[in-house]
Amino acid sequence: MNPLLIALLGALVIPLFVGTWRTSLLGLSAQGLLMAALVQRAAASLDTAHDWITLVDLALIRGVAMPLALYAVLKAQGARARNDVIPPNLFYWTLALAVGLAAFNFAERLVSEPGEPQTLVAVAVAGLLFGFLVLSGSLEPFSQMVGALRIENAIALLELSGHDHPALGLQLAMSAIFVATLGFFCWYLATLKEPAEESVESAPDSLSL
Amino acid sequence: MTSLALVFIPIVVGLLLAIPRLRAHAVRALVGTALSLSTLALAGALLPSQELSLWGYARLDAMSRLFLALINPIFLGVSAYVASRVSATPALQRDLWRFAGLALTLIGAANAAVLGNHLLMQWLALEVTTLVAAPLIVRPGDGRSRLASWRYLLFSSVGLSLVLLGLLCLSRAMLAAGHEPTLFLDRLPELAAVAASPWGEPGLALLILGLGTKLGLAPMYTWLPEAYDEAPPAVTALLGAVQFNAVLVVLLRVIAVYRPGNARLITAELMLMGLASMVVSAISIIATRNMMRLIAYAAINHAGVIAIGLAVGKGTTYGLLLYVISNAFIKAILFLTAGKIKAHYRTEDTREISGLIEDLPYSGVFLLVGTLALLGFPPFGSFFGELSILSALVSSGQLFVFAAFCVLITTTFIATGRTFFPMVWGMPKQEHAWQKQTFLSASPKLAFLIVLVILGLYIPPALSGLLERVAASLEGEGS
Repeated sequence: MNPLLIALLGALVIPLFVGTWRTSLLGLSAQGLLMAALVQRAAASLDTAHDWITLVDLALIRGVAMPLALYAVLKAQGARARNDVIPPNLFYWTLALAVGLAAFNFAERLVSEPGEPQTLVAVAVAGLLFGFLVLSGSLEPFSQMVGALRIENAIALLELSGHDHPALGLQLAMSAIFVATLGFFCWYLATLKEPAEESVESAPDSLSL
Repeated sequence: MTSLALVFIPIVVGLLLAIPRLRAHAVRALVGTALSLSTLALAGALLPSQELSLWGYARLDAMSRLFLALINPIFLGVSAYVASRVSATPALQRDLWRFAGLALTLIGAANAAVLGNHLLMQWLALEVTTLVAAPLIVRPGDGRSRLASWRYLLFSSVGLSLVLLGLLCLSRAMLAAGHEPTLFLDRLPELAAVAASPWGEPGLALLILGLGTKLGLAPMYTWLPEAYDEAPPAVTALLGAVQFNAVLVVLLRVIAVYRPGNARLITAELMLMGLASMVVSAISIIATRNMMRLIAYAAINHAGVIAIGLAVGKGTTYGLLLYVISNAFIKAILFLTAGKIKAHYRTEDTREISGLIEDLPYSGVFLLVGTLALLGFPPFGSFFGELSILSALVSSGQLFVFAAFCVLITTTFIATGRTFFPMVWGMPKQEHAWQKQTFLSASPKLAFLIVLVILGLYIPPALSGLLERVAASLEGEGS
C-alpha cells in the first residue's frame, strides 16, 4: 500500500477525533500537500501545463493558502481552541468507522482489481463520506466549511485517479472558482454572527430592492 | 455571435460598474443591458439555425432558444422593477452599482449555462451564478440575511460538488468502457449507454441529486425558504425565475442524453425527489404564517411537480414546458408583489395583512391572479401542465403516484387559498397612510401578468413550434 495514501487516510481520520480547529486546518493542509505529492510522484517530469496547474492547485491553494486564510480569520477572532467537527460521542465515532469500512467496500465494486488505484478510490470515497458526516453533525459555520472543503478535496483526489484532463481554460476556471469560494468562506467566517448578536440595525424593507 | 453577446455583454458591463466613475450610471446600464439582452434573446428564438460557437462549447438549439427567450425578458422585468424602486426611493441609488454589477454577471452566467454544450462548462456557469447570488442575498446590516446567504452558498457548494462528482464518475465510466471521455453534449448520446455501469450509475444519480439540490428539491431543500425569505424581493425573483431555469436546462440536457438506457434510474430518482418535495412543501405551507416563506414553499412544490413530470417523461413534456414557463412568471410576480406588501405593512405575518384589494389595489390584483395561477387554475399554463402529468400518470399505470399527487396538490391548494384569499378580500385591519402606487412601479409586474394570461389563452405558433421541438428532443425524437 502506498505510504502517501496511508498518510492521507490518517489526515482524513485524525481530525475527526481530535476536536480543535487547528487540527482541522492541519488536516486540510496535509490533504492538499499529500495529494500534491501523489501528483508529483505520478508525473515526475511535470511536463504539461495541466500537471503544473494541478500541482499549484493542490499544494499552494489547498495545502497552504486555504488553511492559512482560515487560520488568520480564526486567530483574529480569538476563537477558542476546542472545535468538534463531529459530535464527540460513541455513536458518531462508530458511524465514522462504519463509513470508512463502507468506503473501502464500495471501492472494491468500482475498481475490481486490488492495488493502488483501488486504494486511491477507497481513500477518496472515505474522504467524501467523512465530509458528509461532518456536514451532517455540524451547526457551526466553521465546521460546515471544513465539511464542504473535505468534500472538495475528496473530489480532487478522485480526479487524480483518472487520466483525462479538462481543457486548460476549464481547469484554470475550476481553480479560480475554488479560490473565489474560499474567499467567500473567509468572508462569512469573519462576519457571521447569530442574529441575536447582531448589533447593527437591519435596513428597513422599504430600503431594499 | 448571439451566444457570445448574451454571455459577455452583461459580464463586461457588470465588471465596468466596479469603476467608481461609472457607478452613477448603474440604473441606465442595468436596464439598457437587460433591454439589449431581451431583444437579442427574442430575436435568437426566431433563428432557425443550430449554431455551434465558442469552439463547440455553446449551441443555439431549440432548448437554449426557448429558455433564453424566457429568462432574459424576466431579467428585464426585474431590472425595470429595480429602476422604479430607485426612482421612488433615491436612497437606494447609493448601493445600486453593486446590485447591478452582480445581477448582470448572474444573467451572463445563466445565459452561459443555458447555451452550454459542455457539461463542465455548464457546471462552471452555475458556480458563477451561485457565487454572485450569495452576496446579493445579503441586506446591509442584516445578520439573518447573511446567515441565509451562507446557508445558500453551503448547500449550493455541496450540490454543485455532487454534480462535479457525478461528471467525474461518468467520465470514468466512459474510460472504463474504452472510450475517450467527453462532456460535450452533442457527442454524449452515442456514449450514454456506458452510464449503466458501476461508475456510471452512481455518477448519474449524483448528477441528478446535485442539480435537484440547486432546484430546491428534497432532501436538500432547506436553504430555499430561508434564502427566498431573507433576500431582497428583486433578488428572490432572480433566484426563482432566472437561476432556477438555468439549472433546469442543465437537468433537461442530462435527461435528454441519458434517459435512453437509464430510464429506470432517472424515473425512480426524480419521482422520489418530486414526491418528497411535494410532501414537505404541503406540510410547510399548512404550518407557516409567513407570506414570503409560503411562496417559497410553493416554489418547492412546483419544483416537485416538474421533477415528477420529468420522471414520467413521454406525453407530459409539452405541458410540462408550459408549466415551467408560467411558473417562472408566477414566481417573478409573486415575489415582487410580496416584497411590496412586506415593505408597506412592515410584516410578513399573513394574519396581519388583510384587505389588499382596497389598500394596495395593484398588489391585491397581482397576488390574486398570481395565486390563481400558482394553484393551477385554468386557463394558466400551470393548469395544463398538471393536467398532462396526471393524464400521463394514469396512462402509464402509476396509480399510487397519481393518488399521492392528487392528495398533495389538493392539500397545497386548500392551504394556500385559505391563507392568501383573506389577505386579498378581507377587511383592512388598520389604517395605513402611504404613498399611492404608481402605474410605473406596477408596470413590470403587469407585463409579467399579461404574458402569463396570454400564454394561458393563446400560444403563438412560433412559441408552439419551439415547445414541440424541445419536447421532441426530451422525448428522444431528435432535437
